[in-house]
Amino acid sequence: MKCTRRSFLKFAGASAVCLTLGQMGFNLEAARAYAGSLKIEGAKEVTTICPFCAVCCQVIAYVRDGKLVATEGDPDFPVNEGALCAKGAALFTMYTSQHRLLKPMYRAPYSDKWEEKDWDWTLNQIARRVKEARDRDIILQNAAGKTVNRFESIFMMGTSHASNEECAVIHQAMRGLGVVYMDHQART
Amino acid sequence: MTNHWIDIKNADAVLIMGSNAAEHHPVCFKWIMKAKDNGAVIMHVDPKFSRTSARSDFHVPLRSGTDIAFLGGMINYIFETESYFKEYLLNYTNASFLVGKGYSFNDGLFSGYNPETRSYDRSVWAFETSADGAPVRDMTLSHERCVFNLLKKHYARYTLKNVSDTTGVSEENLLKVYKVFCATGKPDKAGTILYALGWTQHTVGAQNIRASALIQLLLGNIGVAGGGINALRGEPNVQGSTDHALLYDNLPGYIALPRAKWQTLADFNKDNTPVTALKNSVNWWSNRPKYFASLLKGWFGDEATPENDFCYGLLPKGEDGEDYSYMQIMDKVYHGQMKGGFIFGVNPMNSFPNTNKMRLALDNLDWMVCAELHNSETTDNWRRPGVDPKTRKTEVFLLPSAHRVEKAGTISNSGRWLLWFDKAVEPGGEARSFADIFVPLINRLRDMYRNEGGTLPEPLLKMNWPETFDAEEWARRINGFFWADTQVGDKLYKRGQLVPAFGNLQADGTTSSLNWLYTGSYTEEDGNKSKRRDPSQTPMQAAIGLYPNWSWCWPVNRRILYNRASVDLKGKPYNPQKAVIEWDGVKWVGDVPDGPWPPQADTKNGKLAFIMTKDGYAQLYGPGLKDGPLPEHYEPAETPVAKHPFSRQNSSPVFKFFTSDMDKIAEAADERFPIVLTTYSMTEHWCGGGETRNVPNLLETEPQLYIELSHELAKEKGIRNGDGVIIESIRGRVEAIAMVTVRIRPFTVMGRTIHLVGMPFAYGWTTPDCGDSTNRLTVTACDPNTSIPELKACCVNITRADKLTEIA
Amino acid sequence: MPKAFLIDTTRCTACRGCQVACKEWHDLPANSTKQRGSHQNPPDLNPRNLKIVRFHEHLDARGNVVWNFFPDQCRHCLTPICKDVADMAVPGAIVREPETGIVLFTEKTAELSPEDVRAVTDACPYNIPRYNEETRHLVKCDMCVDRVSAGLPPVCVKTCPTGAMVFGEREEVLETARKRLEQVRQQYPKAYLADAEDVSVVYLLAEGKEYYYEYASFM
Repeated sequence: MKCTRRSFLKFAGASAVCLTLGQMGFNLEAARAYAGSLKIEGAKEVTTICPFCAVCCQVIAYVRDGKLVATEGDPDFPVNEGALCAKGAALFTMYTSQHRLLKPMYRAPYSDKWEEKDWDWTLNQIARRVKEARDRDIILQNAAGKTVNRFESIFMMGTSHASNEECAVIHQAMRGLGVVYMDHQART
Repeated sequence: MTNHWIDIKNADAVLIMGSNAAEHHPVCFKWIMKAKDNGAVIMHVDPKFSRTSARSDFHVPLRSGTDIAFLGGMINYIFETESYFKEYLLNYTNASFLVGKGYSFNDGLFSGYNPETRSYDRSVWAFETSADGAPVRDMTLSHERCVFNLLKKHYARYTLKNVSDTTGVSEENLLKVYKVFCATGKPDKAGTILYALGWTQHTVGAQNIRASALIQLLLGNIGVAGGGINALRGEPNVQGSTDHALLYDNLPGYIALPRAKWQTLADFNKDNTPVTALKNSVNWWSNRPKYFASLLKGWFGDEATPENDFCYGLLPKGEDGEDYSYMQIMDKVYHGQMKGGFIFGVNPMNSFPNTNKMRLALDNLDWMVCAELHNSETTDNWRRPGVDPKTRKTEVFLLPSAHRVEKAGTISNSGRWLLWFDKAVEPGGEARSFADIFVPLINRLRDMYRNEGGTLPEPLLKMNWPETFDAEEWARRINGFFWADTQVGDKLYKRGQLVPAFGNLQADGTTSSLNWLYTGSYTEEDGNKSKRRDPSQTPMQAAIGLYPNWSWCWPVNRRILYNRASVDLKGKPYNPQKAVIEWDGVKWVGDVPDGPWPPQADTKNGKLAFIMTKDGYAQLYGPGLKDGPLPEHYEPAETPVAKHPFSRQNSSPVFKFFTSDMDKIAEAADERFPIVLTTYSMTEHWCGGGETRNVPNLLETEPQLYIELSHELAKEKGIRNGDGVIIESIRGRVEAIAMVTVRIRPFTVMGRTIHLVGMPFAYGWTTPDCGDSTNRLTVTACDPNTSIPELKACCVNITRADKLTEIA
Repeated sequence: MPKAFLIDTTRCTACRGCQVACKEWHDLPANSTKQRGSHQNPPDLNPRNLKIVRFHEHLDARGNVVWNFFPDQCRHCLTPICKDVADMAVPGAIVREPETGIVLFTEKTAELSPEDVRAVTDACPYNIPRYNEETRHLVKCDMCVDRVSAGLPPVCVKTCPTGAMVFGEREEVLETARKRLEQVRQQYPKAYLADAEDVSVVYLLAEGKEYYYEYASFM
């Protein structure tokens, strides 16, 4: 059976009005109780892409009331045709993982713990560190007297997890600062 | 990839080498199985029998680090059996070019070698040219210095015996692969090569890939459906992030990093704009000045003018020849020469080689900014096992980053398709996208420079920079705008409107684009093409699984690169059943061709097929790489072999290495470390595991670090399946659980038994009791062209452990 | 209409998309597992894993490595013995929906005594039922009854990249299975369909069950 998302939508549209398990051929009370309701029924579908490996399987995120309820391969995408591997199949619990970082954290020099901070403080502190280093270290001319405008004492590492638009932002930001030590995991 | 995922189904032979596609790109196996259903032979050449091998027609075990020997043997086989596609060689490759008298090869060294600097003077490898600079050709292929004969001579040394002795592959198995794959040298047959980090992560990585290019060109497999050299790119978005050059040596769109020797834009353009003497060579990179000017215009907007070199002078300039790659970064950090750094979405304390050095190095930073989904071995390096945090100075700002479903934008898949993803839900907690971190950060810096002054504020203050980040707006910036009203054909584009195609980009400041390759992806006429979801196709396109209206791909929506080489000189497809393009007498039909010009046979308007090379021909002989114009077998930097049959030059004469006290490399055939270790990712975890170890459903499937080893080695060492094992290299010590398997078998190399073991590198100490970084064992030796470290081969020894401390 | 699965093990790459998708769809929590010298993890079916991929490796007669993968799950027997046994103790604990052929363990399994649970478990020719200590239910694959009811394929089938799993109307699936078998036999002469006449989940095995898993087939 080739069940595309479109054929399912047609089905689900009908089911929203009248689906009972009896009509689906389920006569037994027990089976009806067991089947329950479909958790993605009526949820909004948003197209996203699996964040692992460059097959870039397209994924449908099912969202209800602003909350993610499930993720599944997009059957219409010609490359993965709805399929996913173990990692792609785990996208939903990756999102709900209790290990997620949710606030900016700060570790002071020689401290043995993380502290929660707000974004405003954090971005100001980082900007301050960058400016101090840049004003002090940027090399305007090299030993041969050539203009080089090179900020060598900081680096940017990452990331291929960034979208194309984010890559464009990061690249422009770094060259604007004068950073040459920039690289990412295309090499690992 | 020269081709794309679906196109694999068109192949008659699939050679998977340097890749474990079923485990690391599992869903692409859909298309490999389709090829198999259509009658293709699937071959897996890899040190370990894996899930890829299980579904292949056959698996051939190869000692890690001997790929060039294996492929060189195939090149020799092609010449011996005359399996090459001669018409293709003559018309589309530089087989007929004469190489200058300066080129020679002697006992493992090419001419121009300087042992002091461990480098080559590449100028001596140049082609012979006539007075006007055009290459001298011998269409009879009889001149001893023509590329065809140089190749033939070079690879005649790659006899079955030499190759078998080196690789540990039996002669029977060599022939099995050679025969099947070389049968695709016929005009209407296609073979594809699928590779990944198994080829790049070697001291001869770039040459591994060049060797495959030689084979594919000799067999006429480039440009055709079911052919190509297909890098199965890893991270999503490693294709896009490479195009946009989060890399030290490039600016976006494969434009070189400016260097000190190029003080002005004119200096830069002079050295970076190739010139051809051949009138029918497109020489596409002659357009580079247009792309660079448009990039500068995108970065600096109205501040960029022809009079001020479009602010070129403000850009940082690297020192000539200096390497700013991540291996150099970490070495500088180790030596205390860096103050701070940004480490975003990457876990170097687990995934870089020689992590003992990396972890010590990071302690030397004054400050570090990380953005991650989870704490990692990198973010928490200051509290790693055995370290008292109170003795570590590094100040760490750890920023919560948004999950894929929490942001919008595009990524580029391995087949260069530009794919849009929508934001499904708001970021968890206070998480932000990377762009929502950098845009306000730069704005704060701009405010500080504006208000307080400082050194060289101009690059920041003159930047064309937004107040807030919007993915759609940046997709448009990448595509590019007109900065002056411009007439294109019968259409007038106003200043601020989107440029329709990269053919319209100019060097005079009237256009901008943050990456010329992506120009045409977002147009006034068709909007954001990465969102297209139209599966329609012509019957010709349907026959090869081409979806020209689904999303968009660079360049100009061309789905198969170099497709002008899939047809004969008159534009007729070599394989009419699987035609990519065809000249109908007036225009090309099928895929978007490599340029609109008529076929090569048209002496007036026709153009040569390989438009990206200066002279229009694919380069069998290529004087551009730092380690030679032809791939040559060298042992890995660390090897159990003291001498191989190809030359006295045991390892690459030009591989890069480091000299700190932590950068040890064992001598060849060091008896203390007789076993080859190869490392890999796995299906259930992602690379260093920083994300997937925090997904309990994935950790359940692969919970702890293991080492795969043969029954023979296990018996020799008294190790049973499931035992604890200690693995040691000259650099470090790691604990793992033994997985004793028939899937790894000893190699016979020059009559001697050599054992190989394999380990994943997905485990790290921040996940309790799962084991710690495998990369404490691996070697900091790198490819001279790419600075990619040799993570796929080093030397170790193993012993059974009675008690483990890292795994419980 | 009776439904059926074909699980063609000669197409399976053991990516374990099905194993994980099953957990995710059913909101089953993870187990704490150990590496014991095998990729097969968790080592066996359990209340939190209603589907697992089993791995088996050996050398064939010519010394070639063979690695077989077996995505193990309830076969949804046409005449489920588990149901017959359970019916003797607690009618309705195990039901078979005659229209689709889905065999379901219901909440009433909690009423089964420990002896009954053992009897049901021992009766299964495929070693499928597992007892959940927390809920005191017997559990196994439910063929994604909620999805199938809504016209969707079971999540494992949906997730499979290589077409190793096919789901649909029984007669069509069996027809596909027979055609596949014919093709597969060119490469694997000993290939067969496991218990095709008796079950709704039909495995295409390339060789004897001893090279997969002792309960891979009954006959």
